[in-house]
Amino acid sequence: MIAQVPPNLTELLGQVIGYIYPNEIEIHWSILIVVYPYLTGLVAGAFILASLVKVFNVKEVQPTYRLALLTALSFLLVAPFPLLLHLGHMERSFEIFLAPHLSSAMAMFGFVYAWYLMGILLLEIWFEYRRDLVVWGREHKPPLRWVYRALSLFSNDISEQAVAFDRKAVRTITIVGIPSAFLLHGYVGFIFGSIKANPWWSSVLMPIVFLMSAIVSGIALVLFLYMVITSLRNEPLDMKCLDKVASYLFYAVVVDFSLEALDFIHRLYQSEESVKILAQLISVKLFMNLVILQVLLGMLVPLAVLVAARTRRVNPDLRKLLYFTAALLIQLGIFSTRWNVVIGGQLFSKSFRGLMAYKMEMTGLEGLVTALGLLLAPFLILFVLVRLLPAKRAEEAPIHPA
Amino acid sequence: MKLPEQVTRIAVVVALVATLALLVRFVLIPRAYFSTAVHQSATVRREVARPVNFAGASACQDCHAEEWEKKALGYHKGLACETCHGPAAGHAEDPMSVKPFAPRDRKFCPVCHAYDAARPTGFPQINTESHNPLKPCITCHNPHDPVPPETPKECAACHAQIARTVALSAHALLPCATCHTASKEHRIAPRSALPSKPQTREFCGQCHAGGTANPDAPKVELASHGGGYLCWQCHYPHLPEGRP
Repeated sequence: MIAQVPPNLTELLGQVIGYIYPNEIEIHWSILIVVYPYLTGLVAGAFILASLVKVFNVKEVQPTYRLALLTALSFLLVAPFPLLLHLGHMERSFEIFLAPHLSSAMAMFGFVYAWYLMGILLLEIWFEYRRDLVVWGREHKPPLRWVYRALSLFSNDISEQAVAFDRKAVRTITIVGIPSAFLLHGYVGFIFGSIKANPWWSSVLMPIVFLMSAIVSGIALVLFLYMVITSLRNEPLDMKCLDKVASYLFYAVVVDFSLEALDFIHRLYQSEESVKILAQLISVKLFMNLVILQVLLGMLVPLAVLVAARTRRVNPDLRKLLYFTAALLIQLGIFSTRWNVVIGGQLFSKSFRGLMAYKMEMTGLEGLVTALGLLLAPFLILFVLVRLLPAKRAEEAPIHPA
Repeated sequence: MKLPEQVTRIAVVVALVATLALLVRFVLIPRAYFSTAVHQSATVRREVARPVNFAGASACQDCHAEEWEKKALGYHKGLACETCHGPAAGHAEDPMSVKPFAPRDRKFCPVCHAYDAARPTGFPQINTESHNPLKPCITCHNPHDPVPPETPKECAACHAQIARTVALSAHALLPCATCHTASKEHRIAPRSALPSKPQTREFCGQCHAGGTANPDAPKVELASHGGGYLCWQCHYPHLPEGRP
């Protein structure tokens, strides 16, 4: 008796190379699972950039501080949705809090997420904006007044002492927040890195590589948003700030590239039994995504662009253009990185003797349209958030921190 | 030092969230929700409540001693009565009015005995289309002591998989006896009288060494070809052209 192959998979059967096990024809982790680490990476990266201002006192980056916080929040709010849509039955998701499975890294996501959202990000944003919320609550007419009053938890005190306390609180939360941001994205890498049956994923470097690429993508995103939003408002770009953010971006890309190169060389030198199929995976299935998009366009070209912008005495307008190009290319590269990890890791057989194919749905629940919607949603949330909580400090301030 | 008012406010919110979480976790949700013992006992209760369908082999023995003894000595000794006859608890309770299932057509036996390349070699397998078409199995075979009605004449009767492989190979025209010697005993008690297999490189060399007669067989220099390996470590004799 021969098992019937579902019609949507017969097409894939023709694209199988070599030998695979019968249950490997279907790729289960779809593009939504690509979007998930991409989104959390942006959160962690944006937060790290924000923390530079508060913890390391990098004054130049101040103009991006609030934007970075709000970016982190809007992407964090969307981050669980790819998982929820992929798993289905969203209404049951709260059960992971009620009956926690302490020995499963995947089942701990709810706690990692809740801690980062409520323990760090919302708290930091609240302390950062509290004084302004109070001021706006006084300035605006209802109903916006009620919104600001409620958001400030009906707080009233904007004395110097109270604002000084807010600043201290923000600093403390940021200090706790850095390891928490590392935890959030390191955790995503940990999940992949600890799957020991999959040689493409199983690497102790995985959490660190994830973290560095997260920082790269987050900084690039904030740079991009800062340039777009400021230009839309017809305000001048702060070139000092741009140069500083771009230099951090440069260092982050260098470290990220070195780590990924180390991982690659290490695998090559170890030459475990999986090395042949992984070489085939890269040369046959992932050549475009990994070699061209991720490494060449997503890393080497932006690196060259950033170096060019720094070493040559180029005028500010050209520099802006170069930074903008680099930021966009880096987003492309990091998204390819996530794709290559998630989809790439499912494209070879556990027998190490064959390669499968992934056919993306277009309109299904796990299709391209859903993924694009999820990638777009944070920008809509950010649009509302930036409108509601402008980056500019409220006027008529009795005290203004330098 | 007096606490700033915003700390009190945020503390109230945090306290509210925490209280709510603790309330839901420890008061609103019944303890049973978290307890594996409750799940376990429920599963046991559910399984115990299912009706018993099987009588068990010893129940059959009480009345059907003759078939029981016959089966215990035959090839089907590893099978329970109810493997073929179906769940018979009802029959054991009330032997006269409830009769168990008895497979009398050609559908049931091929479940195990139809040819399938994955079955172990020597396991009796038939091609259902060509093996006495339309005849019910039990006209020739007694399922309680399933020996072939006559001693098999050809090796293929049991070694169907090998026979099919060889048929496609360059060795198709060689009789099995070219390489194997099987005593008459092997046909009656196949496992206690095993046939012989070639032991040396020289055996294959009778046809394949340079200078031997058979012009169709590929020739190799027996002294140097393949180093110290035995021929069948690289070449599968039943399909020699297959690549290892």
